[in-house]
Amino acid sequence: MTPGEPLVRWDWVANHTGEIGLRIGEHLELTIIAVVLGLAIAFALAFAGLRLPHLYPPITAFAGILYTIPSLALFAFLVPYTGLSLLTAEIGLVSYTLLILVRNIVSGIRSVPSEVRDAALGMGYTPRAILWRIELPLALGVIFAGIRVATITTIGLVTVTALIGQGGLGYLILLGIQQFFSTPLIVGATLSVALAVAADGALVLVQRSLMPWTRVR
Amino acid sequence: MAETRGATVEFRSVTKRYGDTVAVDGLSFAVPAGRICVLVGPSGCGKTTSLRMVNRLIEPTSGEILIDGENVLQGDPTELRRRIGYVIQQTGLFPHQTVADNIATVPRLLGWPKERIGARVDELLTLIGLDVRMLRRYPAQLSGGERQRVGVARAMAARPPVMLMDEPFAAVDPIVRERLQNEFLRLQRDQGITVIFVTHDIDEAIKLGDRVAIMRAGKLVQYAPPGELLAHPADDFVARFVGSDRGLKRLSLLTVGGADIDPNFDRSRLDGAPVLSPSMTLRDALAAMLASESQTGKVMDGDRYLGALTLAKIGAMLRVETPA
Repeated sequence: MTPGEPLVRWDWVANHTGEIGLRIGEHLELTIIAVVLGLAIAFALAFAGLRLPHLYPPITAFAGILYTIPSLALFAFLVPYTGLSLLTAEIGLVSYTLLILVRNIVSGIRSVPSEVRDAALGMGYTPRAILWRIELPLALGVIFAGIRVATITTIGLVTVTALIGQGGLGYLILLGIQQFFSTPLIVGATLSVALAVAADGALVLVQRSLMPWTRVR
Repeated sequence: MAETRGATVEFRSVTKRYGDTVAVDGLSFAVPAGRICVLVGPSGCGKTTSLRMVNRLIEPTSGEILIDGENVLQGDPTELRRRIGYVIQQTGLFPHQTVADNIATVPRLLGWPKERIGARVDELLTLIGLDVRMLRRYPAQLSGGERQRVGVARAMAARPPVMLMDEPFAAVDPIVRERLQNEFLRLQRDQGITVIFVTHDIDEAIKLGDRVAIMRAGKLVQYAPPGELLAHPADDFVARFVGSDRGLKRLSLLTVGGADIDPNFDRSRLDGAPVLSPSMTLRDALAAMLASESQTGKVMDGDRYLGALTLAKIGAMLRVETPA
């Protein structure tokens, strides 16, 4: 950084609002695709683990291994196969959501009180109806806790996907590093944090509106 | 309220084995329609297992269970369960549903039209004595007693001919329990439902049961009306289980009106004697006489003098036979 230069040059920010808006949009898109796909895959894996309990330990072990691979290394490994593409970015991002989502879906459903399940079965609910109408609604609190962590983690990770040309706020950070120019770096990082905080708040609101019974008393 | 008609329930040599363990061993008994049968015994005696075999939450190893002559083991268990009311100790109310939705569970599963469900829910709420404002509440907002009432209303919603109750009042305090028991008795008489009721509490069994089945280690030891159980316990185990105060317990099943009253007793000698009504239990009469240190009680039906009841007569009823 050049000495004497202010940390943030507001004139640069004012001249680049269009670009900044674009990067926020890309960032959100990458995040939403990753969390939605991650949820879909995690539900499939969780249901498999609940139906066949002996499958659950290998499923979590696999998701755990994915989770421990450094993101840079994973992208570098994938690029020869899937290129500098959205697919490469999402394979990585989705992989990192699986562990927390699968674990929370399974433990949320397992935490439903046994007498509630017993009453439902005893009154003539089918096992499928018990899952969809009793267990899943009651597991929502734990599942949402997982979605919130997965979303925040993904928003942070998306900054790395700029390295494989997928844009997002990481692009601004990269720009700052390459040009020894602090303004876009700080703008990118700050907006990424703000996005995480906002997304978390939005998820809390969605969760509350889906679970009216937790708001009483 | 006479639309509900209780069904008969019959166990025929029902056995449940888990590996080498026999949980229920050749159980046979019949419950008449519209009556309460209480299964009672120490923990592990197989009473809950027996109850849960009626709606096939547990499948018997052998034997038959008949409801109105029809073997429940044939046909679809889900469809069977919708025809049988089910109440459990921790209520099992759905925490994410309002009181109204909880009560409407079985009618909804049966696909009743909305208006009919709404009308039935309102009717049940009145029956269990809860305010309409409760309909929009969630279970977490109710007291223990209110939750149990909603649990009973939910079980009765689709007018089942048979209701299964597994220690439904065990988790509430004694005062609320007594009130719930009385309400339940009134409701059951009113609706004419056949009830199979599990408890470990012999006093509850004697109070609620038309018939009491005492179980031990998977076997039925005695099956009799409560009065007979107290007067003629089948063996030492039953005698110990009903308690050494079983004579006193029996007094609470008998009324002053049914006792040996002396109508020729000189009324003038009854000054200071407590006044007893014919509908009073002998246990309460005894308490009244002991409290006023009187050897006799004055039995009055309103203004009409019926005669005197003496401590000696009550004492005679206490001397129930002990098994040989």
